[in-house]
Order: sequence, then C-alpha cells, then structure tokens
Amino acid sequence: MTVPAVVLFAVFHTFPALQGIFYSFTNWDGLSLTYDFVGLKNYYYLFRDENVWHSYLFTFQFAIVSTVLVNVLSLAIVIGLNEKIKFKNFFRAVYFLPNVLSVLIVGYIFNYLFANVLPLWGEKLGIEALSTNILGSEKWAWVGIVIVAVWQACALNTILYLAGLQTVPSELYEASSLDGASKWQNFRHITFPMIAPFFTINMVLAMKNFLMVFDQVVALTGGGPGRATESISLLIYNGGFQGGEFAYQSANSVIYFIVIMAVSILQIKFLQKREVDM
Amino acid sequence: MAKKTNWVATLLIAVGALFILFPLYMTVSIALKTPEELADSVLSLPVGLHVENFAKAIEATNFFQAFKNSAFITVTTVVLTIITNSMVAYAIARNMHRKFFRFLYYYFVSALFIPFPIIMLPIVKQTSAFGMNNPSGLVFLYVVYGIAFNIFIYVGYIRSIPKELEEAAIMDGCSTWGVFWRVVFPLMAPINATVAILTCLWAWNDFLLPLIVLSDQSDMTLPLVQYVFQSKFGTDYNLAFASYLMALSPMIIVYLFAQKWIIGGVTRGAIK
Amino acid sequence: MKKALALVMSSALTFSLLTACGNKTEQNASESGGKVKIEFFHYKPEARGTFDKLIEKFEKENPNIDVVNANPPDAGTVLKTRAAKRDMPDIVGVGADTTFAELAKAGMFEDVTKAPELNNIQPSYIQMVKDVSGLEQVYAIPYAANADAVIYNKAIFKELGLSVPKTWDEFIAAAEKIKAAGKTPFYFTFKDAWTTLPAYNALAANTQGETFFQDLNKGKTSFEKGYKEATEKFVELLKYGHKDQFGKGYADGNVAFAKGESAMYLQGIWAIPEIKKANPNIELGVFPYPVTNNPEQTKLVSGVDLLFAISKTSKHPKEAKKFIDFLLKEENAKAYMAEQNALSAIKGLTQEDPMLEGLKESFAKGALVDFPDHYIPPSINLANLLQQLTHDQDVEKFLKTMDAEWEKVKERK
Repeated sequence: MTVPAVVLFAVFHTFPALQGIFYSFTNWDGLSLTYDFVGLKNYYYLFRDENVWHSYLFTFQFAIVSTVLVNVLSLAIVIGLNEKIKFKNFFRAVYFLPNVLSVLIVGYIFNYLFANVLPLWGEKLGIEALSTNILGSEKWAWVGIVIVAVWQACALNTILYLAGLQTVPSELYEASSLDGASKWQNFRHITFPMIAPFFTINMVLAMKNFLMVFDQVVALTGGGPGRATESISLLIYNGGFQGGEFAYQSANSVIYFIVIMAVSILQIKFLQKREVDM
Repeated sequence: MAKKTNWVATLLIAVGALFILFPLYMTVSIALKTPEELADSVLSLPVGLHVENFAKAIEATNFFQAFKNSAFITVTTVVLTIITNSMVAYAIARNMHRKFFRFLYYYFVSALFIPFPIIMLPIVKQTSAFGMNNPSGLVFLYVVYGIAFNIFIYVGYIRSIPKELEEAAIMDGCSTWGVFWRVVFPLMAPINATVAILTCLWAWNDFLLPLIVLSDQSDMTLPLVQYVFQSKFGTDYNLAFASYLMALSPMIIVYLFAQKWIIGGVTRGAIK
Repeated sequence: MKKALALVMSSALTFSLLTACGNKTEQNASESGGKVKIEFFHYKPEARGTFDKLIEKFEKENPNIDVVNANPPDAGTVLKTRAAKRDMPDIVGVGADTTFAELAKAGMFEDVTKAPELNNIQPSYIQMVKDVSGLEQVYAIPYAANADAVIYNKAIFKELGLSVPKTWDEFIAAAEKIKAAGKTPFYFTFKDAWTTLPAYNALAANTQGETFFQDLNKGKTSFEKGYKEATEKFVELLKYGHKDQFGKGYADGNVAFAKGESAMYLQGIWAIPEIKKANPNIELGVFPYPVTNNPEQTKLVSGVDLLFAISKTSKHPKEAKKFIDFLLKEENAKAYMAEQNALSAIKGLTQEDPMLEGLKESFAKGALVDFPDHYIPPSINLANLLQQLTHDQDVEKFLKTMDAEWEKVKERK
C-alpha cells in the first residue's frame, strides 16, 4: 500500500518540483513549443530585479509582523479563556470560528469594510487618517492585509495554545499560589515554559503560512497600490502565467523554497534551544 | 479550587469576541438590506428580510452548481484521504525500524516545507496533460498532497497504540490486511476525525489550487465562484454579500453543530 | 521482486485512473445532454449581460448548441494559464493587445486571413490586429472598437458656463474653474490600477511621435525621452481629483460620476453603459482628450476593443464559427454596439448615438491612433507602475523604471 502512495506522491509532488527547478535554467515562456538552456541567467536577473526584492521585503515585513501579532494575541486570549469566566465554551467557539471560513471571502468582506465602513467612522470621529480607504494607501495597505490575516489566523493558534495549557498540571499553580505568586509570575515561570513547545510550533507554522500569503492579497489589493503589496506567491503567479516569465518565475520559486526552508529551520533551532534553557 | 468569576477577564474576552463577530454581523446585515437602506446607513439594523438578494445571488453565481462541486470535492477528498492515508501511515509506523520506511517518513514530512508556487507552474501543465483539470483530478491532488501532513499526524498516533492487540489478532490468523481493518482502523477513530476535519476545511476553502487546475466554469467551487463573479456584482454590494454569506454558511452551520467535536479534533492534532 | 511488481501495478493503476478521468471530461465538455457545448471566453465584464441576451437568442435558433459565457476577472492571466495547460476556450474575445499578440505568436488561434468574414470589416482595424501581433496572417476577426474619451456631465458644464475644451490649456482651465466652484473635476478610481491607463494612453499616443515603438526596439529612443511630456501632464491632472481617489475602484467611480459627484471622468466610452445603469437620466457627452495646444493635431485613441479568435484546439470549430457569424449579423452587432456604446468594426455600421457626437469629427477625419499600452508587454505591468506614480508623483523615477523594465524583458528573451 505504501508503494503506490510513494509513486503517486513522487509523480505529483516531487516530480513537478524538480521540473520547476529544471525550467529555472531555461528561458521558456510557458507557451512556446521550444526553449533554450540559459544556465544561471534567470538567477542573475532575479538578483537585479527590483520587483523581486520588493516582494521579498513586503512578504517578510508582513509575515514577521503578523506572526508576532498572532502569537501575542492568541496567548492573551488563551490566558483570558483560562481564567474563570462566564460563557467559556461560547467564547471558545467564537474565537475558533474564523478558522472555518474561506480566506478569500473573508478578504472580500473586509475589503468592503475598509472601503465603506471605516472611512465613515473616521469622518464621524474626525480622524483624518481613517477617513480614506487604507487599502488605497501605499504606506498603509499592508497593515490592512495584516489585520485581516491576523483576524483569521488567531483562531488556530488560540486552539493550539489551549491544547498546550491542558498539559500543564494544576498542582503547579496550587503550589505557586501558596507562595503568593502574582498572575504575571505565574505566566512567566509556569505557564509559558510549560507551553514552550507549542510556542515553537505556532511560530514556525504561522511564519511559514504567512510567507506564502496569497488569497488575502488577491481579495484585498491585488498587489497594489503600485506594487506595494505584491507578495512572492502573487508575483510568481502573475509573472509566471500572465507575464510570459514561466522559467524566470520558476527560478524565483526555487529561491523562495530555499528561503522558506532556511527560515523554518532557523526558527526551530533557535526556539528549541530556548525551550531547553527555560 | 472554588474561585470567583473573574469579571475583568470576562469583559476583555467579550470585547475580543465582538471583534470577531462584527464583520460577520456586517455580512449578514448587508446581505439582508436593499441598496437604498445601505445607502442611508451602513450600520443600521436591516428592516425586514430581503430575500430577493439571495434569489438574485443564487441565479448570478449559479450557487447550487458550485455548492454541489464544493460538496463533491470535499466529501470525496475526505473519504479517500482517510482510507488511503491511514493505511500508508500504518505501514510506515509499524516498520519504522526498517531503513526504507524511516526514509519514507522523512521524505513525506520534509515535503511539508516545499512552497506550493514551485510546483504550481509545472503541475498546471501536468494535470491538463493527464486530463485532470476537473473535480475528480482535484480530489486526486488533495488526497496525494494531504499525505505529507497526515502521515505526520497519523504515525505519531499509531505508535501510541499497543502492538499486543495486533499480535493477538495475527495469532488468530488474521492477515495484515485484516488486522488493519478489524483492529487498528477502529482504534484510530479519534485521529481519523481530526484528519477528516482538517482535510475538510482545507478542501472546502482552498482557492489557489482550484484556480489553476479547474478551467470549466461549471466545475467551479464556491470560493472560486465568488472570485469569478466579482465583475458581475459591480457595486451591488447587497448582492455580493448575499452571495458571500451563502458561500460561508454551509461551513458555519456545520461548525455550530459540531464545534465541540471540531475543536477537540483540531486540538488532538496539535498535541500529537 | 514483489516491490517491483507492486510498482508496475501501481503505475498501471494510476494511468488507468487518469485515462478514465480524461475520457470522462471529454464527454462532459462537449456533450451536455446531447448538446454541443462551446465556451465563449471574453474579458468584458460590462458586456456580460449583453452577451447573455445574445447567447439566449442564438441558442433559440440553434437548440443543439450550448454556449457558455465565461468572463473571469484577470481574464488575461486566466487565458494564459489555460494556454499553458493547452486547454483553450473555443472562442476567445479579447482586445488587440499584448495578450492576444503572444497567444497568436504561440500559434494558439486559427488563421482567418482568407475568411470571407473579413471582407465586411474595416481594413484599418484588420491592420491594427496585424500590427499588434507583428504577424503577416490575421488570427482574429475585429468586432468592436472603442475610443478613449473624456466623459463629461453636461448639466454641470452648463451650470458653470463651461464649453468643451479643445486644447490642453483650456482643459486645465476648465478643471481649475470646476475646482474653484467647490466641485470635483475628475473622479479618479486608483484602487483599480488599470483605470490609470485611459488618460495615460491618450497623453502618450499624442506626444510620443509616430515611430516611437519602432525606434525603441532599435534602441534609438527611450521612455525617458519619448514619454516625459505625457508623464508630466498625467501628474498635472492628479491635482484635480478627490480625497479618497486611492480607495475607490472602477465600479465606485461609475456610480459616483452617474450621481454627479464629478464634472468629468477620465475613462473611455466603455464606461458609459455602466454609468447609465446607475443613472439612466444622466446627461453626458464625450470629447477626445485635448493633449496638446494644437487642436488640429489631436488624435483620438481608438483600438480594437473586442476581436474574436477561434482556438486551434477547439473540438467544435464549426459551431464556434457559427456563433461568431451570428454575432457579426447586422442586427446582433447593432444590438451589441447600442448596449455597449461601442464603435463597430463592421463596414457601414456607424454609431449614431447622440452621446458620442463629440467623437464624430475625429472619425470623419480619420484622426485615430492605437492604444500605446497594446505594445507594452504585460510583465512590465504599466498599470501598476502608473498607480505607483499617482502616489509618489515622481516622474523621473517612473520613466527610469519603464526603461529598466523594458530592458529587462528584452534581455531575458
């Protein structure tokens, strides 16, 4: 049973990936019947291509900010949910709800809110900065995308942290309450160290997912204004299919793959070391 | 541990929950308004039910066709994923002491880190060369791509099932096949649920893969239809939102009924 | 041995699976309930409804043919994706632009050079199709042409005592006057990047000179030389917009202009049906962009807005051709032109709509010029660069980027 699975996986996953690497050394535009080998030319131009640099810059800026925000917010929510509060189950259900919604449609809904609802409030409150659509501003459009991404991604991370909290034995808290520890000390010395492995998983997964951001950008800005919010995936999609840069963008994907691998490995290494240290 | 209710936390959590619910409230309210009401005030409560938005949206996006496609793709994907991926995982988990299988395990898991865009361009050509640019082909891709992540979850779980049961069954003269279906598979129920939920959410809401694989308009899934009909909505936001709401609602309904179960399932996946 | 056998078996299984899928789709795609299904893929969201009606009529006449009206967003990208898949729609309806040119060069379309249908089409438009693709053969039948024009609100012009501007100076003076009266001169919609193109195309076409692109390909000129004036003028127009011009899109703009929120609208005549949908009673007129101070030389930018090409891989070329012939019939072409305010590429069909009065003279004189952006490859993404320019208004940077991008595309070839 394993063998067919491996074969299929190789045919539909590994082989295309290798093909992508292969095309990255050619000048194929995706349509013509012929192509030539051009060696490392595509890679050379990639490094000189401002659009590519810009998309990496934007994607990383977006991913780092979103990852940090998501994890901070999720932890805050989890701590709140873990206190003795009313309607606990109801709230838990609400916080997880965004996870089941389609990213694209959520993007469309927020697109409307940014265009038509927030400016109204901005007008009413007399806040100049809010009175125009932030998705139309070169400086702030990325913040709009962060808001939507974080709104949706908190759900999964919250649930993961909740799972982590259930692994913390309650005796620990009882002991610390005898010592008269404050809430913050509790968190700092018991909760956080105990759920450190979950922190690692969350950071790595969130970062990886945000580095691949695509749906939100399509629904909110289409990569605009200008090329301000063109993420790497969107650049590959647009350039590869529409711009006749199939081979060139394949080279971009190869670099992208190396970058994501490197980031994930570094994160795991660094965060696991911290787990041990704590 | 009889503690008093923490009202501060309750309040903060409630405020947070409002942030989550507000966009959804807006979606519902805009979907129920007429354009005139919307022009008057964006935030007011809808007066009466304007079902005509939904009727128009159903017609505009051919909703039932898209719903059928989404449902077909999701259900088949889930069923096939559970049957096939669990078997593969079982074989790998029980043979981890052999080099070949250990290599396979790492091969699958490392594939998790390959970003999709690198596959995106070649797979488009490949799927159409094989005549797979249709829902069945899409299901096939989901099942195959799911292996990487599901192996990771399954193997961890199977290794926690005591081997004695299987050994006993083999003594009774069951084949490996029989052992798996009669003994192991039933024991895997909780983790199967987890995989089912995660796969279901993925297949139902995915946008990029259907976007590049499907080409026939009658094959399109719900998210794709929303994308394709953007132009048709123009500035008729009520129509657009009615359509969004309908596309989101099947999942929301499922979630309302099975949220405990879904959250539990996802949690189990996390602990593994 | 066992493993090898399993491998062979599994791959055999895979292929049988795949071929099974393959056969199924063919049946699905071509015969739905005994009908022949053809896919008509076009890039005009505003004409979707018109085509729906025409298709309905066609299906009544031909009950055995089922025409699918496909009109996805980013139609150009989707079409190229499908070309890469070798899965082309039967009929393609796009403009004579670079997307069409690339597909034609890649041999995706049927050659229609000798088709009798072309005898009824105005030769200048057939020439445009050739020019854009740079090929000797003709691969598509021009159907409708459009014109890049300033749409203006007659009521507001009357109220402020303005007349139609003929020169650049008059144009700016009019905008100043409208602004002074506390109204919005132009309703910009820069959230949709492409809406920067109509105005820019008119500016560029009237200032770049006759042989700009030939010279550019020979390396004799650059955007920095040829496009400076156009870019500076474009930036000048930006002074006369409204507050949230980066947050509004095309659909918003059509509604806003229809409601009288601005005196002028820098679009093309294709926006008129959408505007009329939002306000059927609006009194509007159009005039060519007055780009220079020499009205004698003003050329109207007009290009092939819609052409029909049949893909080489179509399984039902006969039915596809039948549908195109149906669309070319006088009554149907008239219906399309009237509803879409388009200009017909068919001989003898003139657009009599009084709203388009302002363009008559240019057509009569033949003072026409094609859209410059039809000659700029999509990977340069002119629309997004212009969108960028609307934000930073850095003319120098924009021109440098254009030259750099042009170089890049040439080098990578």
